[in-house]
Amino acid sequence: MNLIVLTPERKVFEGEITSVKIPGITGQFEVLRNHAPMVSALGEGPVRIIQKGGENKIFKIERGFIEVIRNEVALLVQGVEE
Amino acid sequence: MGANLKEVRGRIKSVKSTQQITRAMKMVSASKLRRAQQAITEMRPYADRLNEMLVHILSNSEGSGSSLFGEERSIRKALLVVVTSNRGLCGAFNTNVIKAAEATIQSKYAPLAESGDLTILTIGKKSFDYFKKRHMKCEKISDYTEIFSDLSFENVSQVSQLVMDEFKAGNFDSCHVCYGRFRNAAVQIPESVQFLPVEKMTHDDAKVSKHKDDYIFEPDQKTLLEQLVPSILQTTFFKYLLDTHASEHGARMTAMEAATENAEDMLKNLKIVYNKARQEAITKELSEIVGGAAALEG
Repeated sequence: MNLIVLTPERKVFEGEITSVKIPGITGQFEVLRNHAPMVSALGEGPVRIIQKGGENKIFKIERGFIEVIRNEVALLVQGVEE
Repeated sequence: MGANLKEVRGRIKSVKSTQQITRAMKMVSASKLRRAQQAITEMRPYADRLNEMLVHILSNSEGSGSSLFGEERSIRKALLVVVTSNRGLCGAFNTNVIKAAEATIQSKYAPLAESGDLTILTIGKKSFDYFKKRHMKCEKISDYTEIFSDLSFENVSQVSQLVMDEFKAGNFDSCHVCYGRFRNAAVQIPESVQFLPVEKMTHDDAKVSKHKDDYIFEPDQKTLLEQLVPSILQTTFFKYLLDTHASEHGARMTAMEAATENAEDMLKNLKIVYNKARQEAITKELSEIVGGAAALEG
């Protein structure tokens, strides 16, 4: 599935991934392929992306939102710290 | 004649050095403009996605997205945010924004300004100087002149958060923002827009059919909107500042280009004057010599 990570100032990441773990406002959860359409608010915490080749990418966020629809994941975050 | 020559030479020199300065300022503004424009482009996908998300939420649920920030109260106190640049020499840019602000005061908040219930929040030194002089009754929260030196989302958010908090607390019931909207390097449009309360967001039917999906909302729709609306507002506010920043440099670039051209014209005219004076001096000297020689012969 495709992921795009955006902040108000730049694009942090875009590419094919196998999973992404995010700090939901009510607890951490992970999005895998064929996830149901979803919009969620995110709290402070780490984001872990596992890219298609198996590479890991981890960064911290302060808050944000995630939208999942038809294997397209958009992560809109603020206060990214790598 | 000799004194005149020297005088013209001096003027040519001074125009030349002024032209050098205006040319340099133009280049600096051009590069700053490029960076400011880039910031706007980088921000756009984020803002678009955020708005899309809002549409998706609204079109997959009943009711409208009214929130705390959409509450229409009778206006007893108001806030006007005026965004200008810190520095001058950018044509009529700041004047135009301030004019737009004055027009807004006249049309929307005239009674409040009379009674002192209008607060003006200035961003940028030029608007601060102007309103400090003219509107003694208007109290300022702060002047925020330093924000343009580090125009990050975080810094700007502090200001927009403050505005939103004050609105929530009921310290004012309406807020307009005056800023210079960026069209292109040559065109900046001074604009006055309502920031708070936000217009009610309802889903129109065309959008609903397109985005009908079985969404899961985490934690729930109401909480989500409560988080999303402030983020959208912050992004909008961020855009006002980015726009003003780009507009400022666009305006300065145009102004400095015009100044450089004017200097070129002046130099041309001065050169003609200089050459004429030089020719005149030579002719005079020659005729004196010829006259002197003729007198000797005679």
